[in-house]
Amino acid sequence: MNLTALYRWLLLGEWRAHWIQVMVALIAIAVGVAMAFSIHLINTAAFNEFSAASKSLSGQSDLQVHGRKALFDEALYPLLANHDGVALANPVLELDVAVPGKLQNRNDYKLKIIGIDTFRAMQIAPDLLGLPEEGKTLDRFASDTIFLSPAAMEWLRVKQDDSLQLHAGLEAITLRVAGGLVRARAGQRIAVMDIGAAQWRFQQLGVLSRIELKLQDGVNHAAFKARLMEELGESYVVTEQLDQEKRIANMSRAYRVNLNMLALVALFTGTFLVFSTQALSVIRRRHQFALLRVLGVTRQQLLRQVAVEGMILGILGSLSGLVLGYTVAELAIQFLGGDLGSNFFPGVKPSIHFDPLIALLFLGVGIVVTLMGSIIPALEAARAKPASALRSGSEDTAMAKLSAPWFAIGCLAVALLFTQLPPVFELPVFGYLAISLLLIGGIALMPHFTAWFFSVFLTYMPKKHRNTVLILALARLANAPNQAAIALGGILASFSLMVAMAIMVTSFRISIDNWLGQVLPADLYVRIVTSGDQGGFEPAAQQAIVAQPGFTRIDFFRVQQLLWDPDRPEITLFARPVDRADPRNTLPMTDDMLAPGSIPDGVMPVWISEAIVDLYGYRVGDKITLPIAKTASEFLVAGVWRDYGRQFGAIQMLLSDYQKLTGDLRINTAAMWLKNGVTMEQAVDVLRQLPFGSALEISRASDLRALSLEIFDRSFAVTYLLEIIAVVIGLLGVAASFSAQTLARVKEFGMLRHIGVLRRQILALLAAEGGFLTSLGILLGFILGWGISLILVFIVNPQSFHWTMQLYLPWRWLFAIAVILLISAALTALLSGRSAVSNQVIRAVREDW
Amino acid sequence: MLELRNITKGYAEGRKVLANLDYTLNTGEYIAIMGESGVGKSTLLNLIAGLDTPDAGEIRINGVAISSLDDDTATKLRREQFGFIFQAFHVLPHLTLAQNIALPLLLNGKAIDRVELMLEQVGLHGRGRHFPYQLSGGELQRVAIARALIHRPKLVLADEPTGNLDPDTAHDILQLIRAEIKANGAMGIIVTHSHLAAATADSVLNLTMEGLHATQPMQPV
Amino acid sequence: MMWSKHSSGIIVFVTLFFSVLGIEVMAESGRLKPVTPDYKLSFPVDFGAHDDFRIEWWYITGWLETEDKKPLGFQVTFFRYATDQNHDNPSRFAAKYLIIAHLALSDPAVSKLMHAEKSAREGFGLAYAKPGNTEVRLDDWTLVREENGRYQVDMQANDFGLQLSFTPTQTVMLQDQKGFSRKGPKPEQASYYYSEPQLSVTGRILRHNKPVVVNGSAWLDHEWSTAYLDSDADGWDWVGANLNDGSALMAFQIRSKNGEKIWGYAAIRDVSGNMTFFEPDQIEFTPIRTWRSPQTDAIYPVAMRIRTGDIEWVLTPLFDDQELDSRQSTAAVYWEGAVKLTKDNMPAGHGYLELTGYVKPLAL
Repeated sequence: MNLTALYRWLLLGEWRAHWIQVMVALIAIAVGVAMAFSIHLINTAAFNEFSAASKSLSGQSDLQVHGRKALFDEALYPLLANHDGVALANPVLELDVAVPGKLQNRNDYKLKIIGIDTFRAMQIAPDLLGLPEEGKTLDRFASDTIFLSPAAMEWLRVKQDDSLQLHAGLEAITLRVAGGLVRARAGQRIAVMDIGAAQWRFQQLGVLSRIELKLQDGVNHAAFKARLMEELGESYVVTEQLDQEKRIANMSRAYRVNLNMLALVALFTGTFLVFSTQALSVIRRRHQFALLRVLGVTRQQLLRQVAVEGMILGILGSLSGLVLGYTVAELAIQFLGGDLGSNFFPGVKPSIHFDPLIALLFLGVGIVVTLMGSIIPALEAARAKPASALRSGSEDTAMAKLSAPWFAIGCLAVALLFTQLPPVFELPVFGYLAISLLLIGGIALMPHFTAWFFSVFLTYMPKKHRNTVLILALARLANAPNQAAIALGGILASFSLMVAMAIMVTSFRISIDNWLGQVLPADLYVRIVTSGDQGGFEPAAQQAIVAQPGFTRIDFFRVQQLLWDPDRPEITLFARPVDRADPRNTLPMTDDMLAPGSIPDGVMPVWISEAIVDLYGYRVGDKITLPIAKTASEFLVAGVWRDYGRQFGAIQMLLSDYQKLTGDLRINTAAMWLKNGVTMEQAVDVLRQLPFGSALEISRASDLRALSLEIFDRSFAVTYLLEIIAVVIGLLGVAASFSAQTLARVKEFGMLRHIGVLRRQILALLAAEGGFLTSLGILLGFILGWGISLILVFIVNPQSFHWTMQLYLPWRWLFAIAVILLISAALTALLSGRSAVSNQVIRAVREDW
Repeated sequence: MLELRNITKGYAEGRKVLANLDYTLNTGEYIAIMGESGVGKSTLLNLIAGLDTPDAGEIRINGVAISSLDDDTATKLRREQFGFIFQAFHVLPHLTLAQNIALPLLLNGKAIDRVELMLEQVGLHGRGRHFPYQLSGGELQRVAIARALIHRPKLVLADEPTGNLDPDTAHDILQLIRAEIKANGAMGIIVTHSHLAAATADSVLNLTMEGLHATQPMQPV
Repeated sequence: MMWSKHSSGIIVFVTLFFSVLGIEVMAESGRLKPVTPDYKLSFPVDFGAHDDFRIEWWYITGWLETEDKKPLGFQVTFFRYATDQNHDNPSRFAAKYLIIAHLALSDPAVSKLMHAEKSAREGFGLAYAKPGNTEVRLDDWTLVREENGRYQVDMQANDFGLQLSFTPTQTVMLQDQKGFSRKGPKPEQASYYYSEPQLSVTGRILRHNKPVVVNGSAWLDHEWSTAYLDSDADGWDWVGANLNDGSALMAFQIRSKNGEKIWGYAAIRDVSGNMTFFEPDQIEFTPIRTWRSPQTDAIYPVAMRIRTGDIEWVLTPLFDDQELDSRQSTAAVYWEGAVKLTKDNMPAGHGYLELTGYVKPLAL
């Protein structure tokens, strides 16, 4: 009972005396936990909403039948409806229709229109039914009506009974907004029409997107599915709800995992700060602990004391971190959207779901990390011989034990090993592990490196530059490197991560910029404001375009989605003219390709993107079967090209082959090269004069390029934000450790003042130490960051997004950040050390503490 | 009774400081140990306090062999039976004087009743709520003395207690230590370089490589 | 069988019903034909569907007996509804006609009406009502009239169903003015309407998917129209009964919103085919006993006294709860039940009584 009083006295005494450090530790814990927690919340919310929204479109079906291509012949519908074992067949025509007024937002201009048969859908997806005005039930079957979800109404700025202009192929059509939907998820932007009306108005007569099946009671789903797949053959895919969820999860998995990893990295930086703050605070009190030991406090009692302190800090900090994280997540979702501005989950308005278990987990991580930061140095303090620990100057040896060099070198070695390992479940798990190990090893190596570096520096420093302050600063850094290193840990961790991200983002951006130049060689790109996948230009329209003056060359593209593997997101199939002899003239090829001109005659070549290589395992020279036409056809993989646009894979084939195989002569994009002397404006005018001119979406290559880069920048905005937070945490760490050390060194400064060191010299000493240390931290951070960026660029990106890029270093930006960091660290050191020059310091010499 | 039997202690680098040391300190006795620097005075104190273990030999306090106890038992023995006074005072900066003095009572789970008395005895009456930084060096050592004796230890160990003090203050403190030890009926060992300080003990021993030898106590001038 | 069927079917039809009611203010597309007295029904063509009219139904009710002499009632209805839209839409999905079907079984052992509904748009051979002869299909529910005049019905719901054959024992009974049946004071408020009473039934019903062999007698109505009900009409009471002496009775009254009779009609055909018609003022429906539905709180006159001229018929239900409450799925609520008829306290026959308009349709 009396011991409790002792613990309380010690705790309150310590906190009263060092409340600033306690606050810093609390903030560090809170920020670390908050970052990880908020990113987790946002990510989960966005993903759950996205998959719930996708699921709500397909209702409660047992099985779904898709074509390999987006659409298939409706003749399958009565066959399935009458099929043994089928209780209900629900035909669906799903179209992504470009909205004329929304084209400026290239990533987000489509309205999802779902054509349904009300009577069928009501038994399988009742939420999708339109809600007509009272007495106008027949609007559900009308050919001129459309029902919009609230989000779609808001987006399109229409309300019930307004008319809505959309483009179908080359024609403009007007529909009447007949009402809302029975139920739509918040933010879900969908429209529902009668299936017959949708087929007719959007020129999709005779085709369906999918047929959803409800099986009769007692029918074995798996067996039925297998039998049906066999009956339907290659051109169709039968999926269960589960497959679909898998596909949705696959779609965003890499993105989500990467963001979660970033959150973990943030937590790691926070962890380090918490650890170093706590460790420093414990080490500073080594004397006190030794005294307590002499007076008769047992090891367990001492450890318990420190653990209780860490526990309280951990709980308080983590709790505020949870609150902060939740608030940040709410705000971020409100202002940036669930995908944090990256448009990865378009049209989704998620709401944060508070899961107590997950919150508890994050709370636990925060507490454990804080406890570790307290207990590991306390263990050392408890084990130390109290007699020798009572002597001053033993702190550094105490810390040396925390950073054994073999541990650091071991981490680095294992990190190196991990970079050589393949992905796990298509995720760069080892890449991330290697990054963490690199960081841990780098930080652990710091003390030794600091000592070595500064003693070398001291030894070889020219005599004429030597002055007291410089020598004092260097001597301390060289001889007591451990305390210095702990101060540096935070800065090192955050700066190296920042460098790594900066190099990665720059490399990515420049690579994309170069790539855009290659994939957008023409001057103008003309598309039809139409239903996504469907070729809008009939041969007559193609001829009309070709007949226009002012162009030297026009390439037609047929682009569509192809469901190749039901478990994976669709791949993109390009049919377009490619230089068969040397595809490098058309495509951004990697080095992996057949020798130019070596494709045998009579063989149909395809060029696959890097993602196809990674995900489907095809190699150059392989035969590949694509279910494009009624019967599957065989192609030769003639090369691999680089694609930053479609992480799920894309295949390029010759338009002539495609047309020969399918008889589908429609195309959806035309790339056009201007004649010399023809201006963009003239060319655009010429195209607008065409009878269907108003339905054309004409983009300049330069605009497309700018737009793509803009999207790129926006999707990395959150990364920048995280980096800044990491750096602030790092600086906070510098402030915390410098102020802690300054306090611990009060006697030293007092002595210096006694022997005649000037006040400003002490300040200069502090600034010099801070500056030297930060410089070294920046140097090391750069090396470490560069190493990490290599992992990001050459391992993490290819493994998670399936694209390779070249390495580019943003020297100027890195330099600027380094200078800013240097100045802030020196200032921080100075500010936190200003108490070191107060008058009390002189007295401190006579005192022991 | 404190018995030292055949104590031998060397340092890791091979230098031997104590060899076959034998001594018996009787209850109520207060001795001073003098000797040259590096001869092992502080080491001897650490061994007696159980903060260090001898390479050979045995240390018994009231029949208990402290040198063979595990850390926890030794710690508990220390907290009950020992009082410490250091050259560098060693008080906890963030506790009040009263709290500092009360530490041994707390550790031993005893009622906190003698703090005011001890404060008064060491001449710090009414200053229990002050913090260490408000005190002079002599006053801090008074606090340390009060802390060393508050729990009525059997043995008080003082390591150069006046080393950091001016002669006048030193004199007062030495008298205080002696008076308190005697008043509590404890054994006392003071390790010092100062003949003046040594003179306050009942007897003065000289520690050399050969062992502990009695010298004639010098009469205060 | 009467127009109650507008209010059946899915949600759509609650509002459809009102759109039909408000026919006077509705613009005709010109595609749909009005019902006129000069049309002469001809068979077998008029057994088939009439696409030129807005609404059409085939309705069969009857009393069955199991092998252990337990009575059962059943009701089967197929509707065809012309949306009067989408005729220029070339899509095979274009919703030009809707097919809706109802199935109900009155089993005293259950003491509650079992019922099921289905709806679909006509097309793809999955749902249709063919012209030329009675041939209606809605997925796996079918009603077919064979060349020899026998009807085959096959309908299976989740836990009950029926497979019945109906063999005519008498000629077709043209209602009112040779099949031109007035439904209100205005001449355009009318439908084409014939019945086939005294159908002999064999086949089986499925109770909890267990087949039970049954036989009995049934009543078929086939009616088609484009518009008819008076705007003041609120509901109707209708009965069709096979009498023990081989004659057939059909009677209905249309009630106004304040409960008065707007229109009435009754006819009795004896075994030799002689028809007796009754004017609206010769017909009187008087409730004897009411039953309050626990589900809908509606109060139905489940036992009635019906006067046709100077004959008084007393109608007693097979059991009370023969309310068809499908508010969850279709919002239609009406009472359609098997009834016994007595005349002068003597058993006179078996029939079906239909009571509509006793529950206000749910506001959507």
